[in-house]
Order: sequence, then C-alpha cells, then structure tokens
Amino acid sequence: MKRIVVIIFNFCLLTMPALAWAAAEKAEALEKKINLGNLSGINYFFAKWYNENMWVYAIIVTILMGVMGGIIAFVTDIFLKMAGLDVSKMEHHE
Amino acid sequence: MFDIFNVYMPIAEMQFNALILVAIGFAVGVLGGFFGVGGAWVVTPALNIFGFPMAYAIGTDLAHIFGKSIVATAKHRKMGNVDVKLGIISIIGSVIGLEIGAQNVMWLTRIGLAGPVVRYTYMFLLFGLGFYMLYDYFTKDKKATAQAAKMAAAAREGTTIAPRKAWNLPPMIHFPASGITISFWTVTGVFLFTGWLSGFLGVGGGFIRMPALIYLIGCPTAIAVGTDLFAVLFAGAYGCFTYGIKGRVEIIAAVLMLIGASIGAQIGVTAVKYIRGYGIRLLFAIMIIFAGISVVLKQFEATTAAGWVVMVAAMAMCAVIIAGLWRGFKKEQAEKAGHF
Repeated sequence: MKRIVVIIFNFCLLTMPALAWAAAEKAEALEKKINLGNLSGINYFFAKWYNENMWVYAIIVTILMGVMGGIIAFVTDIFLKMAGLDVSKMEHHE
Repeated sequence: MFDIFNVYMPIAEMQFNALILVAIGFAVGVLGGFFGVGGAWVVTPALNIFGFPMAYAIGTDLAHIFGKSIVATAKHRKMGNVDVKLGIISIIGSVIGLEIGAQNVMWLTRIGLAGPVVRYTYMFLLFGLGFYMLYDYFTKDKKATAQAAKMAAAAREGTTIAPRKAWNLPPMIHFPASGITISFWTVTGVFLFTGWLSGFLGVGGGFIRMPALIYLIGCPTAIAVGTDLFAVLFAGAYGCFTYGIKGRVEIIAAVLMLIGASIGAQIGVTAVKYIRGYGIRLLFAIMIIFAGISVVLKQFEATTAAGWVVMVAAMAMCAVIIAGLWRGFKKEQAEKAGHF
C-alpha cells in the first residue's frame, strides 16, 4: 500500500511541472537583412547565411563556439602545463 | 589610440574595439571558471557601457558562455569536480522550473506588476544570499568548535550524535562523485526552485544553483562549482542556438569574447585548486553583494553607474583570484623544492 502511495505521489509531482512547461510561449525573432555589398571573406560568409537561413546561421554559430572552445582548451592546457600549472584530480577541502 | 583594434562586426554592421571584447571575456572567464557561473550579469552591463548594441548583447553573451563552459567544464572534470549525474538532474529540473518562472512573469506582466516584483525579488535574493554566505563564513570556526565539543561529549558518555533530519521520500539517489545520498524529490525540488528563480528573474541561474548545490544539496564547494558549470554548458548551448535562430548573435564579437574567456576560464579553474572551499564562498558572497548594489542603482535609474559597479567589482575580483592562484602556486613550488 505504502509503495502505491509513493508511486502515485511521484507521478503527481512529475506531471504538474510538465503541464506548465507544455504551455510555454515562444519569443520572436529579429527581422533584419544585412547589406552584403561591402563585405568579403568570412564576414560575407556569416552575413550571407544570416540573410538566407537563420537556422543554418544558428548551427554555424553553435558549432563554431563548441569547436573553438575545445581547441582553445586543448592549446591553453599545453601552455599551462609548460608553466608548471598542471591540474589533476584534487582533494576537496572546505 | 586604441582605434587600431577596431574590428568590423558583420551582423551588427558596426566597428567595435576587439580589445574591449577580449578583456570583458577574460574577466568573466576567470569569474566563471572560479565560481562556476556563466557571468551574463557582468557581461551585459559591461557591453552596455561600451556601446555594444543591446539587441545582440544577450545572444552574443550566451554564445561565448557556451564555448567558455566547454573549456572550464573539461578542466573541472579533470580535477574530479564534476558530478555528471547530479548535473543532468539539475539540467532537467532547471529547464522545467525556468519555463514555470517565465510563465509566472508573463502573468505578472499582464496584471502590470512584473517590473517591481522581479526587481525586488532579485535584490532580496542577491543581498540575502550574499549576507547569509558572509555569515556562514565568519561563523564557520565557531560551528566547527561546537560540533567538536558535541562529539567529544558524546564520546565521553558512550553515545552517538543523532544525524540531521532529512526528507527521505523514495527513490533515494546516491551521487558517488559528491559523496551524498539524497531523495530524488529533494534534488528535483531544489533544481525546480532554482530554475523557477532564474526564469522568474530572467537570468542564467548559475549564481543561484552554485550556492543551492552547497547549502541545499550538500555538495563540497569545488564540486558545486564544477557541476554548476556542467549545467551552464548545456544552458549556453541551448541559448546560443535559440538566440542564433532569432538572429541575435554577433558572431565575430562572440569569437573575440570566447578567446579572452577561454584563457580566463583556465586561470579561474586552476585557482580552485589553491583557494579552499570557504575562500570561494567568501569571494562569491562579496561578488553577489556588489551585483545587488548594481541592481539597486538600476532601480534608481542610474544604469551607467550600475554597470560600472558590477564591472569594477568583477575586475577587482579577477585580480584577487589571480593573486590567490599565484600565492598558491608559489607555495606549492616551495613545498616541492623542500621535499627534494
């Protein structure tokens, strides 16, 4: 019996926030077209996708940030190791 | 003189100083790596002061937070400071809580009360949390002495101290990385609440989750920092993508900020190794009290002064963290030299 009460209680606790979440409203996008006339190279590439397909632009931004984060983490780690600031598993002291 | 550092921003269609973006990124990277927060509460006012178009400020900030969090989380994980299981639950709880908070704000907006209610809640939270953490820091020795005395008395009498009462509604979950066993509902409740607060206040929530992990869940401070950053990583990725779709990310600015932030994050995370848990809590408390002062100034329409307060406090805190790292590093080197 206690087990059934716990299951029902758990179910209710899970359902309530899910219902509120499903009702969420969405924010609006920025309506803008960039003048590509005086752009070249990488700036042209980003602006072109920004104008043509915002989904592709968002994917480019997200992947670029992720990849750059990973590369910079790797490179700075090497420099910090060279400076003697190597980090390994630490003990937790309060 | 600094005009040579001006770079063209293709999405915002303007020139902006690259040095400023790298410097802001660096400062917020140090703070983020050290405290386990995203740092939007520093970046947005700082960008505002230097004239960055506000339409792109939040999206650009979230994009660089995503990249920076990868750097910081990877390093924290190496140091054993990330509780992945706890982090995943925190993400799920926070997302649901955030949506509920956002719904509540919409309701308050409809009845015309959103502005003052949100601002006063924000002030109460920042000052309340800041002063509680200061109190906790300054009474830690007294509490430790009292606990030791209790244990000594119990040992003399041959009894044991009763453990603190906790809500043990099943299912119970064990988190080996943090070394805690806790009810699923306590954990979920805490993250729903912190998520609700961040949705309600319109903030990322890292600065709410970090103390919640320490005081409500019972994590060691360094694990709270690492686990919070793990959650910030996913929030940053989601924010980067959704703001990207809405056309609100200035990609060149985000890249420049990410360069500074990634270097800063490495420094901030490494400093966690040299500054003990209570030291982190003390610095965090001071930082959020300054953030609270900045919100008070905003309330009185002094937006520029508010931006300067939070930016100068962030710079000063960076200097303190870097000094702490340097002292700890020198001490470690001296100890190593003493051994050989």
